[in-house]
Parts: sequence; C-alpha cells; structure tokens
Amino acid sequence: MSNSTDKTNPAEQPQQKPQVLEEDDEFEDFPVEDWSQEDAEQSAANGGNEHLWEESWDDDDAAEDFSKQLKEELKKVEAST
Amino acid sequence: MFDLDSRAISVSASQANRVRLTMSGTLLNDFIAAHLYESGPRLATVFTPDIYNDNLQTFHELFEPIGLPDDLRDKVFLPNKKQLKVSKAEQKVWVEVFVEYWKAVNELFMYQNRQPGASAVVIFNAWKKFVNVLIRGYSSPSSFPAWTLPCLYISGKYLRVFAIKADAEVVSQGSASFGFQDDLAADFEKNGNLEEAARIMNRMFTLCLSDRAPIEDSRKWGIYNTTNLLFKTYFKINSVGLTKNLLRAINAQSHDLPRLEAFPKSHIVTFEYYVGVIHFLDENYIEAEKHLTSAWRMCHRQALKNRELILTYLIPCHLVTTHTLPSPRLLAQFPRLEEFFRPLSNCIRKGDLVGFDRAMTAGEEEFVKRRIYLPLERGRDIALRNLFRKVFIAGGFEEAKDGQPPIRRTRVPVAEFAAALRIGTHATARTRVDTDEVECLLANLIYKGLMKGYIARERGIVVLSKNNSAFPGTGV
Repeated sequence: MSNSTDKTNPAEQPQQKPQVLEEDDEFEDFPVEDWSQEDAEQSAANGGNEHLWEESWDDDDAAEDFSKQLKEELKKVEAST
Repeated sequence: MFDLDSRAISVSASQANRVRLTMSGTLLNDFIAAHLYESGPRLATVFTPDIYNDNLQTFHELFEPIGLPDDLRDKVFLPNKKQLKVSKAEQKVWVEVFVEYWKAVNELFMYQNRQPGASAVVIFNAWKKFVNVLIRGYSSPSSFPAWTLPCLYISGKYLRVFAIKADAEVVSQGSASFGFQDDLAADFEKNGNLEEAARIMNRMFTLCLSDRAPIEDSRKWGIYNTTNLLFKTYFKINSVGLTKNLLRAINAQSHDLPRLEAFPKSHIVTFEYYVGVIHFLDENYIEAEKHLTSAWRMCHRQALKNRELILTYLIPCHLVTTHTLPSPRLLAQFPRLEEFFRPLSNCIRKGDLVGFDRAMTAGEEEFVKRRIYLPLERGRDIALRNLFRKVFIAGGFEEAKDGQPPIRRTRVPVAEFAAALRIGTHATARTRVDTDEVECLLANLIYKGLMKGYIARERGIVVLSKNNSAFPGTGV
C-alpha cells in the first residue's frame, strides 16, 4: 500500500502495462522481528552458498561442436585472404 | 464491561488479577498489558491504524478527545497506579498521544466513509501531529522507556505511508486542475509531504542515536530500524545521496553501538540490503557484494520477495567482482530473476556476443529501471573471455614429454581468435573482421586481467600463460 503513488494517474499512463514493478521495488517489512539462524537463508540445513554460483565454465559437448565450427570458420577466413 | 483479555493473562495470572480494568475497549487494555509486561510489539498494536480492526473501531466510537484525558486518568492510570511504572510526566504525554491518535484515526474513518472535508492530506497532517507528540515523549527528561520503541517504529511506518498517499492526492488534484503545464511546480510538490515525513523521521533517527542511557535501556537499539525507514524514504524521493549522512552519523557513533549481530535480524537484513544497494549505485561492487551477501545469508527463507530483491543486485555484483554466473538452481527458484538473467547468462556462457547484445536490448527497460544495466553490460567482456577461452580449449595439448602431464597449447594464432569472433558475432561471409580489431579486443581482455599473456604481433600469435593461468579463475 505504500507504493500506490505512481499509479494514481491512470490517464497519464497507458493501461497496457501493469504496474507490477513499482510494487516490487521496495524491500518489504518482515512479518516477524527476529528469527533463528535455522530460519535464515544460510542455515546449517542448506549448507553454505556453494549452490548459488556456476562452478565451472566447461561444457564438454559444446566444446566439440565449437572446435568443428572454429575449423570451418578458419578455412573460410583463409580462403578469403 | 470486559475483563482483561486472554492474551494478557498468559504471562502472570496473579499479576493480572491485581490489575483493575473498569472499562471496555480492548485497545486501552492492550495499552495496560503492554506496560505491565513491557511488551513493545503489543504497544505497537495499540497504535497501528488498521481501520478494519474491531478494537480500533470500538476505541473510536467509545471515546472523544475532550473526555480522553479524564478517561485515561480514571480508568487506566489511577486504578493501576501500583502496577504501572508510568510517571506523572509520562502519563501526561501518553494522554496527549492518545488524543492526537484518536484525531488521526477519526480522519481515517472519515476518509473511509467519504465524508466531506476528509482527504489523504488531512490524514497525513493529523498523523504528523500524533507522531510529533510521540517524539516529544522520548525527548523529555522523563522519557518513555526504550522498550516502547516499536510504537515509534509503527508511527514512522505509517507516517511514510500516509505521506505517500497525500503526495499522490496532491499530484492527482494538481494535474486535474492545471493540466500538465506547470511541470516544474508539479515536480517540486510531487514529494512535498514525503519530504516533510523524512524530516520527522530524521528526528527519530537522532533520538535513537544520541540516547546516552545504559545500553540495556537505550534507544540505540532502534537506530537501524529508524535508519531503514529513512533509507526507504530517500530512495522513494530519489535522494539516495542523503543516505550518506545517516551512514556517516552511525559510523561516528559506532564505538557506542552494540555489534550488528546483536540486533534483531529484520533490522539488520534490511539495513545491509540498503547499504549494499547504496554501494552498488556508487559502482563500488566489492563493498556492495559484502553487504548484500550478509543480507542474503541472514534473510528469512520465506521472505521470497526480499530474497529476490537482494539477488537482483547480488547477481550483477558477482558478475563484476568474480566473473561468475548464477547457477540454474538458484534462478529456478525465482521466475522473475530467471526471466532477467537466464538469457544473458546463457549468452555469456556460450560466448555468444550477438545474443548477449540482443538480451541486453530486450531487457534494457527493466535493467535501467532497476539500475543494473551498467554492471550487466560488463558481462560482455566475460562473454568475450569465454569465447576466447573456447579457442584455447579447442587448441588442445602439446605433445606430452615423457612422464610429464600434458600441457595446453599456449601459442595461439590471432587468426583463430578472429575466426571465433566471427562465430560469436554471427558474421556472414561478407562481414570483415580486422586483425587490428581482434588484437584490440585481446589487449583489452589482457589489460582487464581476464586473460594472461601477450600478443606477438610480428608472428601473429598470442602467447598465453602456462600452468592453468591463461584465463584466471576459470580452471585453465
């Protein structure tokens, strides 16, 4: 309800786009003031944050395709020069 | 006649028995109970302006400002004189607080019933008076005790809510009567009430920060909560710069503040989120990541919206600082983030430069709105790095010397990078890719530390670093 300001001019803003984003911009008040570490994102239950980020850049299947593609492209370049 | 309601009895039956409640209206009962048990949250419910709450309706119907001082004296303070530790001076302020509260609540009901004269601006002004009296309760020598702080928080929270509504009303009325001719004036007035609210919140901030009472009973425990209130407000009125003053004031007092972890998590997660975003907007991504990570780790697992917001900034941060992408598992939990970041991540991963540019264009509006466009744009370098890294991988290994582990080919012709660039940019037969351009891109990546090696121009090759350090941090 604290975000209703920017929606007050329906005439000014075309209706086609729902104004969801305005609602989403604000950090919400938590329904409780405090909680235990078990209820926190990083608790003993879900370990560290190692699942957050992509571990490796390697993609073996794609690597072979790329290798072929690269060879073809090189041939084209050599042919044109 | 009501008895003390059941919730109050749970703490101590004997103590409750001694309390004399001679009046109806559970709002005042809650006030008494909150004082008996020194429960801030309970006191905050008394001053929560929820017009759909029966207790508030009863309070509004049963009392009126003129009689409230006597009612409170005769029915709250006198009968419970021994149990309630409320000094005469405090009582006097509480009476005023209740009177102003009643008036503000009255405006709310009038607005709700569409009565003439009612308006969002009038509500805001009435609420402002209530907050001012409340603040006075904390400023006087016989101040309200620190446990009552939640009541200050709730007053500040709604001060902001009502100010935003009042501003919206002003804007809509202004545009109705004047059209859009006077843009400058409209801009000036757009946040007038919220700016005024910010000034009042600033007094709350000072009230908390400057309290010299021993820490057990100090308003310093309210410092992060009031700061958060101001953060939200400054972000809303587009004055993020003003947040620096608050941080400076807090830092100057840091030796007198309990450590961060000692505060309730809701205060700290919100604080860390905003501090993270403030650094983020300053393009100080390393510092931003620290605070956002801390917010992420402490955030309540069920607070989906807040977790999503933290990640909205944490993911671009991480891309810039460590050149890594969010895992599919992480994105799968947040459909909106998946929509934002998945196409970009895929292109970065594949080294698809054209796809990357397309994804940036497709998401531009959202990215700009959320102010994450700039760091995301840096993902193009990572995409290029990945493309060139694939060239390196495709180059395979040198012939192994006996017994030695195989070593990757570290001398790579510039022509191979040129060919890769043609793939990454979806070049057609007619597109030219100049060697100069390729060398320039390579030099740029080397300069940025994304690649290690040098270009031997006269021989047309790139000599890359050995020992798995040609593309630092990627395993090769």
